[in-house]
Amino acid sequence: MKHTLRQVFRSGKFVTGFIIFSAILLTVIFYPMIIRDDPLQIIGQGTFFPPGIYVNIADSMSSTRYILNLDDAAAKRIASKLNDADREAIREWLVGAGIPEGDIDIANTESLLGLWVSNYDTTVRIPGMTNADRNYYIRLNRSLDGLLSEEGVTIAATNPDTNALEATGTVELTEYANIREVANVRILPLGTDNFGRDVLTQLVTATGVSLRIGFVAGLIATLIGLVLGLVSGYIGGVVDDVILFITNLFTVIPGFILLVLISFSIGQEQRGAFVIAVVIGLTSWVWTTRAVRAQVISLRNRDHVNLSKLSGHSIAHIIIRDVLPYIASYVIMAFILQISSAILAEAALSILGLGPRTTDVPTLGLMMNWALIYQAHILGKWWAYLPIILVIALIAFSLNLMNTGLDQVFNPALRD
Amino acid sequence: MNRKSLLSILLGLLVIFALALAACGGTTTTQEEPAVVEEPTVAEPAVEEPAATEEPAAEEPAATEEPAATEEPAAEEPAAETEADPNALPRNETLYNNGQQWGAVVGWNPYSNSNNNAMAIAQQDNARVIMFETPYLYNMLDGQVYPLLADGPYEWNDARTELTFKIKPAAHWNDGTPVTAEDVAYTWATHIKYNTPTGAANIDFIEDIVAVDAQTVTIKAKLNEDGAAVNPLLVAAYVSTNYVIQKAWTETLEERVAGDATALLADTAEDVAYSGPYGKYFADDSKVIYVRDDNYWGQDASMWGKLPVPKYLAHTIFKDNAAGTTALQAGEVDVSQQFNANVQDLWLVDGLPISTYLPDAPYGIGASLPTAFFNLNSPGLDQVAVRKAIAMAVDYPTIIANAMTNQSATFDQVPRSLMNPTAGEQATYDHEAVADLQWVGNDIDGANAMLDEAGIVDTDGDGIREYNGENLSYIALCPNGWSDWQAAIEVVAAAGEKIGIEITTNFPEWSVYQTVVTKSDAPLPEDYDIFMMWSDGAGPTQPWGRIRKLMSSEFIGMASNWNGNWGQYSNPDADALINAIPGMTDPAALNEAYTELVRIYLTDVPSFTLMYRPQSFHTVNESVWTNFPHDGDGTEPPVPPLNLTDGWSIAGLYNLELVNP
Repeated sequence: MKHTLRQVFRSGKFVTGFIIFSAILLTVIFYPMIIRDDPLQIIGQGTFFPPGIYVNIADSMSSTRYILNLDDAAAKRIASKLNDADREAIREWLVGAGIPEGDIDIANTESLLGLWVSNYDTTVRIPGMTNADRNYYIRLNRSLDGLLSEEGVTIAATNPDTNALEATGTVELTEYANIREVANVRILPLGTDNFGRDVLTQLVTATGVSLRIGFVAGLIATLIGLVLGLVSGYIGGVVDDVILFITNLFTVIPGFILLVLISFSIGQEQRGAFVIAVVIGLTSWVWTTRAVRAQVISLRNRDHVNLSKLSGHSIAHIIIRDVLPYIASYVIMAFILQISSAILAEAALSILGLGPRTTDVPTLGLMMNWALIYQAHILGKWWAYLPIILVIALIAFSLNLMNTGLDQVFNPALRD
Repeated sequence: MNRKSLLSILLGLLVIFALALAACGGTTTTQEEPAVVEEPTVAEPAVEEPAATEEPAAEEPAATEEPAATEEPAAEEPAAETEADPNALPRNETLYNNGQQWGAVVGWNPYSNSNNNAMAIAQQDNARVIMFETPYLYNMLDGQVYPLLADGPYEWNDARTELTFKIKPAAHWNDGTPVTAEDVAYTWATHIKYNTPTGAANIDFIEDIVAVDAQTVTIKAKLNEDGAAVNPLLVAAYVSTNYVIQKAWTETLEERVAGDATALLADTAEDVAYSGPYGKYFADDSKVIYVRDDNYWGQDASMWGKLPVPKYLAHTIFKDNAAGTTALQAGEVDVSQQFNANVQDLWLVDGLPISTYLPDAPYGIGASLPTAFFNLNSPGLDQVAVRKAIAMAVDYPTIIANAMTNQSATFDQVPRSLMNPTAGEQATYDHEAVADLQWVGNDIDGANAMLDEAGIVDTDGDGIREYNGENLSYIALCPNGWSDWQAAIEVVAAAGEKIGIEITTNFPEWSVYQTVVTKSDAPLPEDYDIFMMWSDGAGPTQPWGRIRKLMSSEFIGMASNWNGNWGQYSNPDADALINAIPGMTDPAALNEAYTELVRIYLTDVPSFTLMYRPQSFHTVNESVWTNFPHDGDGTEPPVPPLNLTDGWSIAGLYNLELVNP
């Protein structure tokens, strides 16, 4: 046993897969201990907030102020509101409104904005301008307001007695807050999804749920496959015929179609994560059965098995003691593959909207499903679907690597 | 040997069976998807009607014949244009739509409403008038009707029992024969004779429609025992919601079907005569194209004075919303009637020449009120306190921001009532009088206090309140695949937890859902506690029509109730007001009645509005065409954002301009 383990961990492929899988597993276990947020809590009012650090504006105004005199601050401020395309658009508008082209210097922000402020009028209709253009200029005009001002921003509050606005302070343009001193800062490394939920927290929980689904489904499929394969292979005869007949039936029907049909007929109200796992397990045992049966047939006439028979051991005893240990390595490898394919099956089912019901738990497939429904892929909201695809790929990849590594160890013919 | 062959046959059969099942499964899901966007435009399929039998074979040859028929007027010109290839229409003459047509067109029969021909045939509050025309056009922005086939405004007699209007002398059919009063009268007679959906929906309100002379039509209202019209509101609405169909063609059709009502409604009507500016050019399962009739009567000075600008109207049949959005982004669609999530990203992030009616949120004009209905028979939900507490606790800003991606006015902007956000409807009730009843949501303390006060508290310490010793535990539902509704229902469910009421969600398939909630002749099943359905949008009978469908008990007992009040609410006071309003003419009395209805609705909470939703989504890409209707576009009367096809919005087709002429 010790020797086998040592050999297994000498396989580069197995170790790589093992490390990736362990990293995922450890994250799933330890992340919720550190970050205790409810993964399904709707925190964002709005959809698909981009990844980043979210700083509370009111808190940052009341935190300690530090004055930093940075030379490029004004330039950065202007660049964020007025890029080259905007300057070009301003020029176009001014020319359309009859300003001589020679008077316009789009590189000189001050003169450009001066011309803009004195000429721009929302009601002027420039020939060839679409409504989309018109809206663009209105938005641009709004964002340019006060851009060159050197004055600070005045903060005002409503006086409850008079209902009038009263200045309560100013924020100078050179004032900075230290993010560590702001009371409310929320880091959203992967932004939010269409419900306004924290994608990372949800992703970790979903990975855990998907792994559990994979484990349960893999266990069921492997158990069924193993038992049927052992019985069919060892006993043979009519029992073998019957089991093989059923196995062949299921082999011919594409497993995924069966899965879709069963999930659909169960109905949404019954579809919890566990039920889905059972359904996946019940539809994916076929190849394990066939492979186990084939191995058992080759084992059944070996000397030690015959010896055991002659010793009068029961069938169960022979199967468990004299047959099973010889195929254990194969069964473990099959189990690993079953886990991987079950996770993929759950994801595929959920993308079709046939996965577990939504409110209970997040799963990788459900997250993909909602990202697709809200068109994250069309709108370029990569954080809502790309990390999920990566996690699914990594899980499948690491499990397959482990399987290949084991194969090389247990099957000397495959060793390099 | 024998066993093996038997086995292979068996297996073969199984495979075929499995594949067939899978194929069926596939089509149901793809059909489900479009329902998401179809839903706001669903007009009540008032009465059950025989499904039109599809005759795909008949369509193919007709597609090639049709252009020849429409060519007739063009033949007058010396050099007749060569017909465009339906697969390569001149872009500068074609206006592309999406979001209206899902699946192949079945027929062109204006008597039937199972043509699946959304662009051409939709008899509704804002009737779609590109091919068939109504006497008047309804304008949802100012609430007025404007004459189309009719000449000048209609007139009531003094007793308000007869409505009279004239037909424009210039109006004629595409075959050149004039539209007459006799056509209007015969259309009605046919609706009644063959019990069409239109006939069945109006027979309780309209006694008869007669042609006084060639140009004059009189609609006689059905009278009640006092000699007054049963419902003058619905009589007046008839003239802007129902098409005028040619008498000569109807007679041909009757002859063809030998008087059989089922066959009449199932006829695909490839030879139908129409008075509108566009007719069939091409239709298959990938697209449907309409071509302008250059002999259209509306170019007469008495109507538009010119032809609509685009020569072709085309609608590609997309697989789903995502495909439609991609086409809109690529400039392959000019006018989009689809829910495009985060529509503002199309111009803010992608910088595309795309815009909506309003430049900022809510981007469109809210017209209908997607509503959560309570099952009033569920234990606990028969208590006003429980219903109102749930409604008060719901986080509406999140529903609007997340589920609708801000494409709805908020309840701060438009306080809840029974009216949609249009100025006309908002003016119909006294805001001050009901201000203290209009909850804004997220009021967890208020909801908890209300439940405590009603004595509905948690006595066994499990965190869930009890009523009559039973935990308050409910299921909130909406159809599966209706994404914005699903997201909204999730937010409703989240509110329950905060006030000690357990709410879980369930999304059944639409086919199951619709049969359950529209069965109003029996109590709703136990697991349908809180469920979403729609309400009426903008129209000539609104807000009365919407209120009736949200509150009137007349629908309880209907085996197939496609009208409303699905929670089966019954209040004699509300019923009396709903019955009285159509006969009222005094504005002050009307205002009082509407205010009282709002008060009853917000006090009893039989259902509650979750968001406002536009009549149609209306997003345009100005890569090819420009001068689409938008807020402040200077049109008088204002052109509503209804895709240039519905009601008065057809006027927008005459204002279009090319970006690069």
